[in-house]
Amino acid sequence: MAAVILPQHSSLYSVKTSLAPPARTASSSKIGVETGDFTILHSSKNGVTNDVQLRSILRNAQVKRCRMYSKVTAMLKRGGRKTPDKEYPWPQKMRPQDLIGSPLPFLSRFKPLPQKSKPVHLPFELPLVDIQKKIHEVRELADSTGMDFSMQLNELQEKYEEVRRDLYTHLSPIQRLSVARHPSRPTCLDHILTITDKWLELHGDRAGFDDPAIISGIGKIDGMSFMFIGHQKGRNTKENIYRNFAMPTPNGYRKALRMMQHAAHHGFPILTFVDTPGAYAGIQAEERGQGEAIARNLREMFGLRVPIITTVIGEGGSGGALAIGCCDKMLMLENSVYYVASPEACAAILWKKAAAAPKATEAMRITAHELMKMDIVDDVIPEPLGGAHSDPFTTSMNMKKVIMKHMHELLKVDPEPLLERRFAKFRKIGAHQEAVNLDPRMKRKMKPRDAPPEMGEPKLLTSSVRENLEFNLKAASTANPSE
Amino acid sequence: MSVRKWLEDKQKFGGLIEAFFEEAVRNSIAHENDKQIILSENNNDLWARCENCGNMLHIKFSKQNKSVCEERGNHLSMDSMERIEPSIDPNTWIPLDEDTISKDVLSFCDEESYENRLIRSQEKTGLPEAVQTGIGYSNGTLIAPGVMDFQFMGGSMGSAVGEKITRLIEYATQKLLPLVLVCASGGARMQEGTVSLMQMAKISSALHYYQVQKKLLYISILTYPTTGGVTASFGMLGDIIIAESKAYIAFAGKRVIEETLGQKVPDGFQLAEALFENGLLDLIVPRILIKGVLSEISDLYSSVPYKKN
Repeated sequence: MAAVILPQHSSLYSVKTSLAPPARTASSSKIGVETGDFTILHSSKNGVTNDVQLRSILRNAQVKRCRMYSKVTAMLKRGGRKTPDKEYPWPQKMRPQDLIGSPLPFLSRFKPLPQKSKPVHLPFELPLVDIQKKIHEVRELADSTGMDFSMQLNELQEKYEEVRRDLYTHLSPIQRLSVARHPSRPTCLDHILTITDKWLELHGDRAGFDDPAIISGIGKIDGMSFMFIGHQKGRNTKENIYRNFAMPTPNGYRKALRMMQHAAHHGFPILTFVDTPGAYAGIQAEERGQGEAIARNLREMFGLRVPIITTVIGEGGSGGALAIGCCDKMLMLENSVYYVASPEACAAILWKKAAAAPKATEAMRITAHELMKMDIVDDVIPEPLGGAHSDPFTTSMNMKKVIMKHMHELLKVDPEPLLERRFAKFRKIGAHQEAVNLDPRMKRKMKPRDAPPEMGEPKLLTSSVRENLEFNLKAASTANPSE
Repeated sequence: MSVRKWLEDKQKFGGLIEAFFEEAVRNSIAHENDKQIILSENNNDLWARCENCGNMLHIKFSKQNKSVCEERGNHLSMDSMERIEPSIDPNTWIPLDEDTISKDVLSFCDEESYENRLIRSQEKTGLPEAVQTGIGYSNGTLIAPGVMDFQFMGGSMGSAVGEKITRLIEYATQKLLPLVLVCASGGARMQEGTVSLMQMAKISSALHYYQVQKKLLYISILTYPTTGGVTASFGMLGDIIIAESKAYIAFAGKRVIEETLGQKVPDGFQLAEALFENGLLDLIVPRILIKGVLSEISDLYSSVPYKKN
């Protein structure tokens, strides 16, 4: 009995194995179990038998006044919650309909949620909630009294629609930000599964990690295969913790880069979906080179000889978003945002108080339409009234239509001009000016020219890069989107 | 001679004692006009304090010693002029894009409008933007250096910085020059919003042409502090990455990590030495040796037999 010593942080599994000997024979003084017992315990994965086993073990242990009893219960409580994931790597029970057709949906870990999440109302939706309550009350009244309230109901319904239209056609940046962060906003995989006919998820960076915050895979739309890469948020708290709130670690970016190179190698066009609050800021992430991983992605994306279309479907947070967002065409959902620093962080740094976040949101111009004015975004995808979460299917279909329109355009371009156009797209972004007659006082700490005149004036040759660039800039500025 | 003895006790001053006396003599015979200029230029500062150990450094010595603290070898922050001056051979410097300055594209206004902030920074630092670019000879090799300056709005990367660096890289690509970028930055400039974020992509794309297509040599030197968007773009893209001793190099700053994790991060985390341990840097070099190291590196790379350009 004395040999049964539990390790400090034992999981359920180790509790089971170390507890088994006293259950079988009290005289056994070995640690661990014989193979027969082991397989029984190991294979009893469905909850019921598992519980029975454990309960019987516990009872036995209690009867024999096991010295470790108090410790064991504590551990069972702690470890007991960690029931093995029954859906991993695939559901334990295979139903007959799973075996018909493609096996890919059966193997996918991303399944519809068992229960619908509660509707969440944003602060600015309060008037809508009020009307909804009223409708509900009137309905109840009609049901209880048996009188006809259809006129009032219709009126209320109309008012509801009107208020909703008013609210959602004039969303302020702050409201758009809250819609973009809505907990039930459709995630990347939701969109992908809606728009693709076939979907195979691929995993791992082949260097020891698989970051769940970034998903990647190959899917088919209208008979054409694409590489999909995107940030994946969770649909509930449990998933969010697993997905790390869509904040990728360096390994996630390396996984994305591997997939992009894979796509370029096999000739799949790439579709990326951005929905992240930013790259993960943690100790391990820093140690593994978060900055390096992002930087490498930025550079390598300009060498991929396949079309890349990026769609911002939620929030695009800083470098973490850009690391999979160097593209030929950048699209944004109407209620999504793209920022250099989150408005909260910006308020804390520039205004030095968190309460200034709404002001920062206004000032930073982070919404899709504003960014389109600045030539950063190429197209805005309309969302149905009430935001993407009110009608995910329509949103995905709108997205598919716009993506395919731009993709057909890009597929006509050869790889070389494609790369040059991608370069030119980013080359022209910026707001700088050549100062005329700059006050020499402002240049006092600049090292003045001290080279003799015979070293000449530095001038860019009118060849190669520069020529292409100027041509492309001209082409980009005069290009007609309908062409 | 008590002063001399005291200085000798301090030991590490080495040859600086002579320099001190020379300086003292020179100052005493300097003209009245010169003195005035010195006073106004140096803001009457005679002493600098090392932020880490609290040691007082005489400005004159510290300039000769490249602002390295005598006590424990901490590298104090240094402005761009001080960096360029000694590392470029005399009479060879040609600055590029001197007059490129930022524009207030968002009409951004926090507690002070961005436009005012820019003008105030320009007046305070005497620099039009947070980076100086140019070409010049370093130990006989023509290089294209870009030096960022932390004094100018935290060395933040706005459109003008992005444009200047991109133009420098394009110039180096055409003239096949080795590129050296000295980074000292707090990241992207928030006042310019998403436009400043896109500068990361812009510079990286230019680097793709330079490094991948033209196969040229880019050396990045990371100094105190290199954070945010600069680390995540050209800072970490160098073919050779050199860091100054004890430089703070990070993507997310210490404060951000502490906020997200809700726990203290260990001391020395994100210093150049720690990054070196994690394999993110090629070498750590004390400031005083950087020029020598650069010329050695360019010598090594100049004799590569299989380079075709």
